[in-house]
Amino acid sequence: MSEEKTFVPSIVYFMCSWCGSGGAETAAAHHLHYPENVLPSRVNCTGALPAVHILRPLIEGADGVVISGCHPGDCHYDDGNFRARRRIALVKSLLDTLGLEPERVWFRYVAHGEGRRFVDTAAAFNEHIKTLGPNPLKTRSDT
Amino acid sequence: MNANAAVLPTKEGFEPAVIQWLKEALNRNVFEAVLIPVETPAEDSFAYLLIKDPKFLDLASPLPPIMPVQGGKAIGRLTMRGDLNKRVAAIIRPCEARAAIELTKLKQAHLTNLTLITLDCPGVLPLSDYLDDPAAGAARFREAVEQDNRSPMRPTCQICHRFSLAEAPATDLHIGTLGNDDGAAVIVPGSLEGERILAQMGLTEDGDESGNLPEMLERWSTRAEQLTATQTERRSEAHAQLQEQVAGADRLLDIFGSCINCHNCQRVCPVCYCRQCYFESTALKLPPENYLARAASKGALRFAPDTLLFHLGRASHMALSCVSCGACEDACPMDIPVGQVFSLLADGAQEALGYVAGRSVEDALPLVAYEMDELHDVEQAYVEIYREQEVQDA
Repeated sequence: MSEEKTFVPSIVYFMCSWCGSGGAETAAAHHLHYPENVLPSRVNCTGALPAVHILRPLIEGADGVVISGCHPGDCHYDDGNFRARRRIALVKSLLDTLGLEPERVWFRYVAHGEGRRFVDTAAAFNEHIKTLGPNPLKTRSDT
Repeated sequence: MNANAAVLPTKEGFEPAVIQWLKEALNRNVFEAVLIPVETPAEDSFAYLLIKDPKFLDLASPLPPIMPVQGGKAIGRLTMRGDLNKRVAAIIRPCEARAAIELTKLKQAHLTNLTLITLDCPGVLPLSDYLDDPAAGAARFREAVEQDNRSPMRPTCQICHRFSLAEAPATDLHIGTLGNDDGAAVIVPGSLEGERILAQMGLTEDGDESGNLPEMLERWSTRAEQLTATQTERRSEAHAQLQEQVAGADRLLDIFGSCINCHNCQRVCPVCYCRQCYFESTALKLPPENYLARAASKGALRFAPDTLLFHLGRASHMALSCVSCGACEDACPMDIPVGQVFSLLADGAQEALGYVAGRSVEDALPLVAYEMDELHDVEQAYVEIYREQEVQDA
């Protein structure tokens, strides 16, 4: 087997506690599966996710970070997802300027009832990172 | 915009004229006090002095050759706890004024009763160059200013394109020296308060006896626009070059590899606004097993850890408010081009979110405001790869 096939990415999935993790619950109710190397992590609202918490896994060994929150207009706190979008645009701009592959960060809306969309997002991001290959910062000891 | 500008009488040169003007303003109680850079008694540095007694103004230097303390930081320290109850003038450079405006929006400075007076800035020398020989440094600075030469200045000053306020005066008063010879200067109000002060000081268009004001203003704004254009070009060239040097994990870690984690860049930064720095908090001081686990996954772990996280994380906090002043680079004991890298990051981030740091107190901070219909390229569109299965699930 080639190296690309054996590469199992490590992925952090930040989901908001309303729609994101709701999507995960719906997926569980339907017995839908997502790749086991995706590590789910619940945050109160994507708008409350600090930029540092996206950068830190990328520096410390994750190959990608995916964030999902409520659809526009559906945020439990009214505007958290709009704020998150701005913050993620900021993080992506920083990564882009420094040549650190902004495509390793995904932001997608997943509603509470969209269990299929939740597992699809996890699976599609997993495939996307597999094609991108390992994160070069992962093996650097001097970060 | 320059309708109510005036000529600053500069018979004995530009700096003495500014000082004379401020003295008169203090004597007439136009200002209760003046915040201005003053050379230290040992004559080897400059510091901001909040001057109450006009005699201290004799020692003042409106345009010092170095920037040991960013003026925005000084203003933040003066007004963090609330509004001034008496009128104070601050003589600062444009980047310092922009930092003060950012701090105001971050609720860490208050501009009420504070008159910001800016000057056309020729840049400042790198601190280390100046400290090697202060007298020679001062002479080198004067010479460079006369020749309009930015090459001895700090790298961020060399590529500064917001050194004047000809385009949009964001401060109460701006003193323009460009374009007019022999230290002649125009004084341009940028607010009603500025106009009021000029009137109070008897400096109005009508009071201009020489009748040179329109030509002087014209020469000033033409020169400022011309210089802004060349500097903007220079900046984009320098940034393109710098990006090649830093882009990618390997090159980035080469640049920050010599960092000694002193956090000086954070301490001197005027817009590093967190009251408690996350990177100095206990959030990043973890039990030993955490470090052992990370060493196991990476093969080894550098100590002190989280160097890159500090720089990237700090950028994520302040890049949108960064005014590219270069104070961080002056403070770096390891000569890391941190000011240049941050100005590159700041330009990219501010462009991405359509914001210009320090342009106006009216512009909302980009992470506070939002639009419903924007930034759609950040959203990952959903491709229904399992559409059929979704139907089956239902």
